Parts: sequence; structure tokens; C-alpha cells
Amino acid sequence: MKVPTEHVLCLAAILFGLGVLGFLVRRNVILVLASIELMLNAANLSFLAASRHWAGTPGGEPLQGPIFALFVILVAAAEAAVGLALVIALYRLRQTVDLDAANELQG
Amino acid sequence: MAEVLFYVLAAASIACGAGVVVARVPLFSVLSLLGAFFSLAGIYLLLGFPFLAATQLLVYAGAILVLFLFVIMLLDLGNPAELKKHDGRALSGKRLALAACAAGALALAGIVAASSDAAPAGAPATSEEALDALGPLATALFSRYALPFEAASVLLLATMIAVLMLAKRQRAGSDRNGSAGWPWRKGVEP
Repeated sequence: MKVPTEHVLCLAAILFGLGVLGFLVRRNVILVLASIELMLNAANLSFLAASRHWAGTPGGEPLQGPIFALFVILVAAAEAAVGLALVIALYRLRQTVDLDAANELQG
Repeated sequence: MAEVLFYVLAAASIACGAGVVVARVPLFSVLSLLGAFFSLAGIYLLLGFPFLAATQLLVYAGAILVLFLFVIMLLDLGNPAELKKHDGRALSGKRLALAACAAGALALAGIVAASSDAAPAGAPATSEEALDALGPLATALFSRYALPFEAASVLLLATMIAVLMLAKRQRAGSDRNGSAGWPWRKGVEP
């Protein structure tokens, strides 16, 4: 018996919601980046669930999901590297990682 | 068996995701994220994507998490007064994060044991556990998706250069628009 695709997509939606919540609520830049990682993981999970759902059908391309997930992981790695370098630059400038301290562009 | 493991891992990943949002101390928040990555890797394995599960463990839990922990340790975020104020809660958060990590690792070990028990040696793989077989995946990656693959390598190179530029130390006495921080360009500028 297989786990129904709807349940996997529900799990992905819940994880994405938790990521959005953390992104909006937390003021620490590092934890905002961590929330983004959580959201990207939820997107990966839904890619894989869809790929598994359509794997047996005639027109389905079962490899598209894993390949997209692979590229998402790659982009997440690049994003984390650049984001954390920005955190280090912000800390050097302000001696804090609080998002409210970085208000130069707010005019 | 697999369904029960899926729901256990789903609950663990949701709990760890909530831990990322609510944990007071950044270190425990990131450790909770590690637990979420572990349980998601187990879910990928259960859904029939063993290669993606291994990639998840290597890249997310192995590389990105270490980067996060490295930055947290490097920036010395532990304000002693703040830590002391949340001492009891921090301790429980630490226990929670450790328990989450242990649960994820145990679940992974259980899945591996169960799958190796279930499939006798030499048996043909069922469609449920061969959705991202390495051969077809590599063929597709290097033929149909060759251009995105190469673009990804360029992206990684650009990322490396950007991180180098962003994180280099500005020397205190050097001029802003010149060769600040690059030792091999010292004295070249007029």
C-alpha cells in the first residue's frame, strides 16, 4: 500500500507554511535564511510527490521531479552561501544580525 | 510498515519545523532544522528516491547546516545575559533538538534495516524504489538537461566569487575604492 499523494502534499504545505511563518516572525537574519531553507525543502517534497504520482502514467516523465529537486538543492546551496556572507558583512557593519538594524534602504 | 514510518517521519519533520520557528536560541533553531532535514531524507527514501535522500543528507545536512553552524559560532551571538535569562528554556530546547536529531537518525537506521530485510538479494527492484535510478538520471542530466547543468556550474562559480568579495575583511587603514583587503594588489594603485 502506498502513501497517498495528497498526504505528502499536505505535509509539504504544512512545512512551507512553517517556513513562511518563520520568515515573517523571526528577526534574526540567520533564522530567516533557515526558514527559507525549510520552504525550499517543502517545494522539493512536492516535486518528488508529483513525480511519484505520475510515474506510472503513459505520458509521465518520472525523472523530471528528481532533476528539478536536484537543481533546487543546488540553488539552495548557492543561496545559503551568499546569504550567510551577507550576514557576515552586516555583522561587520552593525555588530548585530537583527533585521531591524539594517534600515539603510528604507529612506 | 512503510506508511507508519512515513507518518512518524512526517510528524517529526513538522515538529522540527515548528522548532525552527519557536526556538529562542539560534543554535537550537538550526539544530532543529537539522532534524527536519533528517526526517525529510527519510521521507524521500520512503517515497522511492534514494539518490535524492543521499543528496539531501550530503548537501543539506552535510554542507549547508555546517555553514549555518559555522556562521553562528563565528559571530558570537550568544549574549551571556540573554542566555542566562532563558537558561531553563534553553536547556529544554537543547534536549528537544538533541532528541529530534536522535529520532531522525534512528528512523533512518530503521528504514535502511527494514528495506534491506524486505528485499532479498538479487531481487529486481520494484517501481516503488527505483524512481530515481542513477543510470537514467545521469543520462537525462547530461543529454536533455545538459544546458541547465552547465548553467548550474556557472552559478556555483559566480557564488564562490560573490562570497569571496562579500566576506573579505576590509582593512582599517585602506581606502574604500581601492585595493582594500587584497594583499597581492597592495601598492599597485597610484
